Amino acid sequence: MKEQNKDITPPKYADRFLSWFCRDELLEEVQGDLYEYYLIAREENSRRKADLLYWYHVLHFLRPFAIKRGRQNLNAAIMYKSYFKFAWRNALKHKANTFMHLLSLGLGVACFIFIFVYLKGELSYDKFHQDADRIYRVAIDFVDSERRRLPDATTPPALAPALTKDFPEVAASVRLFPNWGGKFLLGTSPDRKFYEERVIRTDSTFFDVFSFPVLYGDTKTALDNPDQMVITRSAAIKYFGKEDVVGETLTLFDEEKTIYKISAVLEDVPVTSHFKFDFLARIPFQNLEQNWGWYNYYTYMKLASGADIATLEPKLQPFFESYLEEREIYNIIYSQPLTDIHLKSNLKWELEANGDMNNVYIFSMLAIFVLIVSCLNYLNLNVAESFKRFREVGVRKVFGANKRTLVGQFLVGTFLITLAALLLGSVLSEILFKTLGDVIGRKISLLDPENLQLFFGISLVVLLVGIIAGLYPAIHLSSFKAAMAVKGLFNPSGKSVSGLRRSLLVIQFAISTFMIFCSIAVYQQLQFVKNVDKGFSSEQVMVIENVGDIRNQQTLKTELLKINEVSSAGLSNGIIGGLNWTTSLGYPDAFTMNWVVIDPEFIETMGLELIEGRNFSRERPGDTIGVTIIVNETALKELKLTHEDIGKSLPLYEPEDSLDTGRGTVIGVVKDFHFTDFKSTIKPFCFFYRAEPQDYLSLKLSTANVPETLSAIENVWSDFSNQTPLEYFFLDKSFAELYAKESQLSNVLLFLTILALFIAFIGMFAIANMTIKDRTKEIAIRKVLGASVSNVVMLITRNFLWLVVIANLIAAPIAYLTMQRWLEDFAYRTSLGVALFLVTIISTLLVAWATVGFQSFRVAIGNPVKSLKQE
Amino acid sequence: MKGTNLGEFEELILLIVGVLFPNAYGLSIRQEIIDQTGRKVAIGAVHSGLNRLEDKGFLESKLAEATHERGGRRKRLFSITAAGQRALTKNHELRNSLWDQIPDLVWKT
Repeated sequence: MKEQNKDITPPKYADRFLSWFCRDELLEEVQGDLYEYYLIAREENSRRKADLLYWYHVLHFLRPFAIKRGRQNLNAAIMYKSYFKFAWRNALKHKANTFMHLLSLGLGVACFIFIFVYLKGELSYDKFHQDADRIYRVAIDFVDSERRRLPDATTPPALAPALTKDFPEVAASVRLFPNWGGKFLLGTSPDRKFYEERVIRTDSTFFDVFSFPVLYGDTKTALDNPDQMVITRSAAIKYFGKEDVVGETLTLFDEEKTIYKISAVLEDVPVTSHFKFDFLARIPFQNLEQNWGWYNYYTYMKLASGADIATLEPKLQPFFESYLEEREIYNIIYSQPLTDIHLKSNLKWELEANGDMNNVYIFSMLAIFVLIVSCLNYLNLNVAESFKRFREVGVRKVFGANKRTLVGQFLVGTFLITLAALLLGSVLSEILFKTLGDVIGRKISLLDPENLQLFFGISLVVLLVGIIAGLYPAIHLSSFKAAMAVKGLFNPSGKSVSGLRRSLLVIQFAISTFMIFCSIAVYQQLQFVKNVDKGFSSEQVMVIENVGDIRNQQTLKTELLKINEVSSAGLSNGIIGGLNWTTSLGYPDAFTMNWVVIDPEFIETMGLELIEGRNFSRERPGDTIGVTIIVNETALKELKLTHEDIGKSLPLYEPEDSLDTGRGTVIGVVKDFHFTDFKSTIKPFCFFYRAEPQDYLSLKLSTANVPETLSAIENVWSDFSNQTPLEYFFLDKSFAELYAKESQLSNVLLFLTILALFIAFIGMFAIANMTIKDRTKEIAIRKVLGASVSNVVMLITRNFLWLVVIANLIAAPIAYLTMQRWLEDFAYRTSLGVALFLVTIISTLLVAWATVGFQSFRVAIGNPVKSLKQE
Repeated sequence: MKGTNLGEFEELILLIVGVLFPNAYGLSIRQEIIDQTGRKVAIGAVHSGLNRLEDKGFLESKLAEATHERGGRRKRLFSITAAGQRALTKNHELRNSLWDQIPDLVWKT
């Protein structure tokens, strides 16, 4: 019994806190009640919960009736008041300095908060699903004859049902079938319809795996019938003007005019979902359960609670192979945790452009760097400035101030500044969130409760800096004899102090140098990638998307070509750099070949360069049959063909059945062109020609006057389109998305570099200013003795320039190695030359010289008599 | 001293002190409030109310002897004073008389 009681004691600090603030005459009964309460609470709850409850009730006693009063030490209160008064006066006296402190510290804080809140969003992808840790995506690496693995996110439709059937560990599985570039004409009536891209077809088990927040309807039965549809809140408002639309119908205006009944309305898909949609319907195709050959479905599974992915994973490959016909090489199947997809998965055909864990690391590193620079800067400035107050300290000591009171005084001063900077930084970051909300694609605010922790973290860091910044000079100064200080016999640029000052400056400049180097390198790589010969020209190419429904496409082309500014027009069923298809080709060794179907004019429209053989021709009907292809150089190599083989009928693939010859003809070769990002090398690509209507019509425009041309195109379009709206985009814009990640990195880096450099600049400016003031007399005497202006300027700047050189020597090699590693990801990369080093060192030197040189020049041209006469 | 009228929460406490007599102290009063009304109140809120009622002269208290489960601390037992009783009666009567004055028609709608 006794032992038990000993174990059950309320949290010590809460108790101590209570006895500290609670009036003595109340303490006994209050403590008794709370103690008794705690015993009951412990029986019903966990220790943590009970402790928390105890704290809650203790804090609830912070009411006027219970708090001690009138017993404070009056003397101490007056002292604190005077601390505040002096801190305030000091801040006002040095307005410029105070402003600089606030600005540099505030900017650092703002930048840190902004980046980390943003990154927290990146890291929270897909975590909103219930049991998100038990949901996995199954992906497949294609393996070619040379055993190279081509990672791919798509899987056959038979996989998901087989997973549920064969593994008791799999509680539910679901397939997703996205729109694959297609558009769905949905509407409530024939005159109220829109093209929709965000349509996903799926299974009835969708909500067994995923848990998107529901507004109306029951998700358990929402997709049980093939004619049911689930839509999001914004889709409901768009079509019906209200949210609760369960029971209403939407018609899909295709040939069958399918009518869908809306069974549930979801909250809009959160930004932190790796796939987004507005409409969910059932997969309309039959006989998918035996289909192991199509790779265009996404497979997700949710494990039963208690099941371990580690025991399931090794069973996946044998399971997969057991369903396939016997073969020499199998593709490799594996699972990915749902919550890792956004940052760690970068497969072909991701449902949405994913983030990158590397960028998360880089950004957080940068944010920490900027914060370090700004904190060091504040530390440095504050330490340097407080040594100018040694006389004040001396007087205080004479009047009886001891170490404790001095420390108190300095701490109050730094605390006020850091608190104000914290406030400024928070406000600035909030403004950034508001203004950049559209750019980063989500609404965030520091006031969101989930960001509280981060805010406390940064507050702690900044306040700690405040403590150090106040403590160091206070302790240092209080160790001097009062008499010496009053007499002014203390040298504020003493060795230990200036040593610290210099090392802090070096660290700041080293970080700035590092960042300059990196941002130039990233920029250089980006420019390099942009200027790499893509092998085709994406400028001024306009792609019309929904031409698939138009029967007389050739007439449409002829009519469009009558517009002067349209120089050529080509049809295709894919977009280079956007959408293409893959198949297995090559004999006897098969590999993955990317392909699109085109018409003879497409090659010219895209500016692809035909280097051997011939283009497709309308006069040769044979071109539209079988494997008659134009390939790129890489594909020619992979097919192991030489230019003599062009135009000959050769075995190109494994025949599927006895009727199939497996033969085909390569009729032409185009120069290699880029159709993926620049992180991978050029892959094999080929073109087919078919006479049927295709989905995309690309137009090469020869004008800068786009609006006028557009309206001309729209006029032609309306004659053909049967009232479907014109949907188009420009190819160079969609191509730019291929290196959007690098662009983003480059922009953020540039911004942060400027910020860090600016803060370092403030620091150096202030330190130089102080040094020069300390040495005004020395300079005057030197001038009197015959020193020239340039001598004096050199004398002052030399020291600072040395610091910058040292900073460069430290930072440049590290930056070089870092960027070299970053570049390794790219198949096409720029080289980091000597020029980069030179630019970095020269730019930092220039900044240093400008800050210090200008000030020293001003002193040097001044009249020495004036400065000597002072005092 | 503040005014001697009785707030709603104060009246509740006062009544419950009566209900629990002779064993009315902070924690037991809180528990009774939760049980009878379902209102979640902090211990501090109860103590604050008790304190106010004692200031107004509606309650008196004495310290009981120490018990083991309170870590040897004594509890303060409260009981209603004559003034407290008067205040309660006044409230009760006022309410009853107002209740009786409501015409029956009001309840018909």
